[in-house]
Amino acid sequence: MNRKASRMARGFGSFACAAAAVTALCPTLAFASEESSGGINAILPQMDEFIPMLIAFLILWFILAKFGWPLFNGMLEKREQTIKDSLEKSEQARIESERTLEEYKRQLEEAKSQASQIVAEAKRTGDAAKADITEKAQIEAAAMIEKARAAIETEKKAAIAELQGSVADTSIAVASRLIGDDLSDEEHRKIIERYVNEAGSFNAN
Amino acid sequence: MPTNRQIRKEKVATYAAALLDGAYEQGGQAAALEVRDQLELIIRIVRTRSVEFSNALKDSSYTPEQRGSLARAVFADSNPVLVDILAVMAERKDFALLSRVWESYGEQLERKLNVTVVDVVTVVELDDHLREVITKKTEADLGTKVVLRERIDKSLIGGILMSAGGRRIDASVLSQLESARNVLKLSTDGGEC
Repeated sequence: MNRKASRMARGFGSFACAAAAVTALCPTLAFASEESSGGINAILPQMDEFIPMLIAFLILWFILAKFGWPLFNGMLEKREQTIKDSLEKSEQARIESERTLEEYKRQLEEAKSQASQIVAEAKRTGDAAKADITEKAQIEAAAMIEKARAAIETEKKAAIAELQGSVADTSIAVASRLIGDDLSDEEHRKIIERYVNEAGSFNAN
Repeated sequence: MPTNRQIRKEKVATYAAALLDGAYEQGGQAAALEVRDQLELIIRIVRTRSVEFSNALKDSSYTPEQRGSLARAVFADSNPVLVDILAVMAERKDFALLSRVWESYGEQLERKLNVTVVDVVTVVELDDHLREVITKKTEADLGTKVVLRERIDKSLIGGILMSAGGRRIDASVLSQLESARNVLKLSTDGGEC
């Protein structure tokens, strides 16, 4: 861009020099206007005006070429450098952002994977704990049921034994009373005789 | 060298033999049986009611003469031979052997006189027919002559309890009812028996 501006400046300079040379080498055209104000003279410059204007133009061109153009060129170069730096920075920023984005994506994937593993592990642990708790609860329930069943059975046996004992005691008491009170001496003697005949031997004891 | 147990056994046998010989010389078989009965009664009374008296006869703080005098005074109404033996046992502090002397006395009586004393317990008094039935049965069982010693005990409720020489036949209603009670209590099939 800087070079393009330089070429343009040099082009303007060449054009101005060519115009000045044509004006100096063709004084007849200027004089022609003085001779006749109409026709072609109407568009030709007046030499007495043209020379000072040309000199002024050359001075101006020289001043601009000498002092203005370097300043302008420096501004352009500075601007070009600034834009170039900005572009480089933006490119670096883009590359950096893409790298960061990739890093974030990678971390996100890792996080997702870790989260999945944690969830799976938690699920396995939960399932194991659930199974363990269920098994223990079943065992405890079975033990409690068995214990209750044994207690009920024991209570039942005790109640039956107590009832049997009570019935036995009552029956024996009634039988004793009946035998002791109701039998006569003769009946007792008959019982004794029968028992003696039915009893075992002394030698058997 | 004889052991204490053998010495004690010989001592018991000596007391029993002296008692049997003395009683038999005094009044024959009847006296011997009477002494046996009196000795059994003394044992029962001393064992159940007179622990203090029994201890006094074993107390070393009394002299042998005092212990002998005490025995003579207490058992003065018994057979004189029995009183003498009891006094000697008290003097020698052998009164604790009394029940063993009674057992040995019964064995020697059986050997010497060929007679076995059978204790018969019933709730009513035996008549002659029952005595004959019991005597026949026991003589057949024991193979010796038998002398019945009858006792009435209403707690038997009915039936008969016979014992001789440490052997026993319990045909009492009381024992049968007790057996029935045990069967009823032990049965677990609802009491069907």
